[in-house]
Amino acid sequence: MLKVIWLVPALPLVGFVVNLFLGRRLGRLAGVLASLLMLGAFGVGLGVLNDLVTLPAHSRVFVKHLYDWISVGSFHVAVDLRVDPLSVTMMLVVTGVGALIHIYSIGYMDGDPRYGRFFSYLNLFCFFMLTLVLAENFLLLYFGWEGVGLCSYLLIGFWFERPAAANAAKKAFVVTRIGDTFMLIGIVLVFLRFGSLDFARVLVSPASSFGIATFPPPGVYTVIALLLLAGAIGKSAQMPLHVWLPDAMEGPTPVSALIHAATMVTAGVYLVARTHVFFEVSGVASAVVLIVGLVTALYAATAALGQDDIKRVLAYSTISQLGFMFFALGMHAYAAAIFLLVTHAFYKALMFLSAGSVMHGLENETDLKKMGRLAKVMPITATVFSIGALAIAGVPPFAGFFSKDQILAAADQTGHVTAWIVALVAAFFSALYISRLIFLAFFGQDRTGRHAHESPPVMTVPLMLLAVGAAAGGLLGLSAVTGKLQGFLSWDLGATAEPARGLSDGVLSAISVAVAAAGILVGFLVYGSGKIDWLALRTRMGSFQRFLSKGWYLDDVYAAVLVAPGKSVAAFLAYVFDRRFVDGMVNGVGVLFQRLASVGRLVQTGLVRNYALAFLLGAVVIFVFVGLKF
Amino acid sequence: MRTPIAYFLVVSAMLFTVGTVGVLVRKNALVIFMSVELQLNAVNLALVAFSRMHGNLNGQVLAFFSMVVAAAEVVVGLAIIVSVYRRRHSANVDDASLLRW
Repeated sequence: MLKVIWLVPALPLVGFVVNLFLGRRLGRLAGVLASLLMLGAFGVGLGVLNDLVTLPAHSRVFVKHLYDWISVGSFHVAVDLRVDPLSVTMMLVVTGVGALIHIYSIGYMDGDPRYGRFFSYLNLFCFFMLTLVLAENFLLLYFGWEGVGLCSYLLIGFWFERPAAANAAKKAFVVTRIGDTFMLIGIVLVFLRFGSLDFARVLVSPASSFGIATFPPPGVYTVIALLLLAGAIGKSAQMPLHVWLPDAMEGPTPVSALIHAATMVTAGVYLVARTHVFFEVSGVASAVVLIVGLVTALYAATAALGQDDIKRVLAYSTISQLGFMFFALGMHAYAAAIFLLVTHAFYKALMFLSAGSVMHGLENETDLKKMGRLAKVMPITATVFSIGALAIAGVPPFAGFFSKDQILAAADQTGHVTAWIVALVAAFFSALYISRLIFLAFFGQDRTGRHAHESPPVMTVPLMLLAVGAAAGGLLGLSAVTGKLQGFLSWDLGATAEPARGLSDGVLSAISVAVAAAGILVGFLVYGSGKIDWLALRTRMGSFQRFLSKGWYLDDVYAAVLVAPGKSVAAFLAYVFDRRFVDGMVNGVGVLFQRLASVGRLVQTGLVRNYALAFLLGAVVIFVFVGLKF
Repeated sequence: MRTPIAYFLVVSAMLFTVGTVGVLVRKNALVIFMSVELQLNAVNLALVAFSRMHGNLNGQVLAFFSMVVAAAEVVVGLAIIVSVYRRRHSANVDDASLLRW
């Protein structure tokens, strides 16, 4: 099966092309076709995994050469697909979760006038995402990277009739582009210093051989690592480039689940894990990753607490969870980060799709204040959402407990005690915001004012499958040292050593569970017990509430510091520089010749005799000239 | 005794000058036309004079050519003048000054 790895990205590409041209005629079949192709890709992916584990443990990598892409002088780039534990893990997440979301969309998007186009974009996204994770060189990865950005733009703005959606799409594209530009510079730098873009040549641990042979000095590693990190920060919505993700919720809910929770936003985590050689060499870059992740995790967890829109809660939650992943990457706990990535893909996709199910039942209502008591009418949605919530809060034995606990444990056991405490605070807020969401939406008083209904099976079955993943996903990696997934990934990311210092695993687990329980308890007391009037509390703390709901006013700060000056510079260039100076030069040349001509044309009198005289004078001049010569 | 060549050339030059001045100062298209003929005949006279001086007939042959061409040219030119006159009721060349600024 390893040789047919190209089928994995090719199948969604087929779906894209077919649905692009025939989507309108296929009707509902468009969704079925897209889902079947994704399931096919997932099946091929499983076959590839099966073959990969039969390879000897020390050489679990297979590169499938498809064709030479660019070959100019010493610059060679091929379209090569890399199969190794890390890429296979990512591939299975993309195809597996992606397939479920495709199936769910058959029901969710039913009746949309651009039904076929939706699935064609969704398939195109999967193609680019799979290219990204399977790429064997930086350029092909960048191709996928930009491609998913494009699909993100198209899908956020899928309902482009709404100005909010169109603006959110633009914002997402522009903000991530800031990071992408740095990343491209980093890739160019890789080529300049290493003479190649192939992972096999570049991502070799230099160990202690700096300055010898082909290895550039450590400073180069730091610069490249920071440039690549900038790209990862943009794509994974980390501080300070996170502002696009909450707005991206203007897109259809399956898009939020697939692109802005489960897969595309994790591309940054994948990139850092893939290029971890650079970050291991550079302590500075690792520290930056750690701090960015930690700050983002805490920031987004608090901001999520102030959101009233169910999808925006989940969006900030995603940012926070991605922050945890970056935090883990910064501590070189790569396997733990990927483990959280996998479990997060399950439970966050689950929660987004459940939120979509709630919106489906409530005529697209997203305001938590207008929900309540939905558990009565939507039992399946409420159950699966609660499973996802327990997972993200970190309650054992759900998947999130194991992954988050391992990251927290790694923080303590690698000596980052301050960071560990900050992360615990973030974890507390995670449990708090998610229990707030649960209690407001599914329990308490009914504030809907309408008849909600449960969603059709085509939507609830994928939810239940994802719920199984969110509940049992922890089995993949029960322990950081001996877990299945961690062991599988150790070929790429290195094995996790036995903890040398810090508290023991048991104590650490107990502390994380206690923090999660405290968060849920506070959430229950305020929002679930009915003893505290949370609406009154919210009015009393109005300014604080607004501070949180506006995401610490960061959008407004950017608007004042970056957007407003940018707009005035653009206005200056457009209306003053361009109109006065550039246009002035062009028009000035025209006016100059007009003036010259208005003098010169007086020669043309139209009188034949004048021309005859000129003719005569000319002849005389020539005769005189010739006569003088001889 | 042969008449000196200079006499012929002087007459030719005078004829040519009269023709040139006529072209430049007169307004009536017909008169200008006649002046042009004067210039042509001045040249013909010079050609014949030189032909005699050199003792071969090339110049005289060329003079005949010149006359034939002049006759043809007169036909075309007069036709144009007549049609202009029909349109504008004037043979004044200064009236036909459309090609100007």
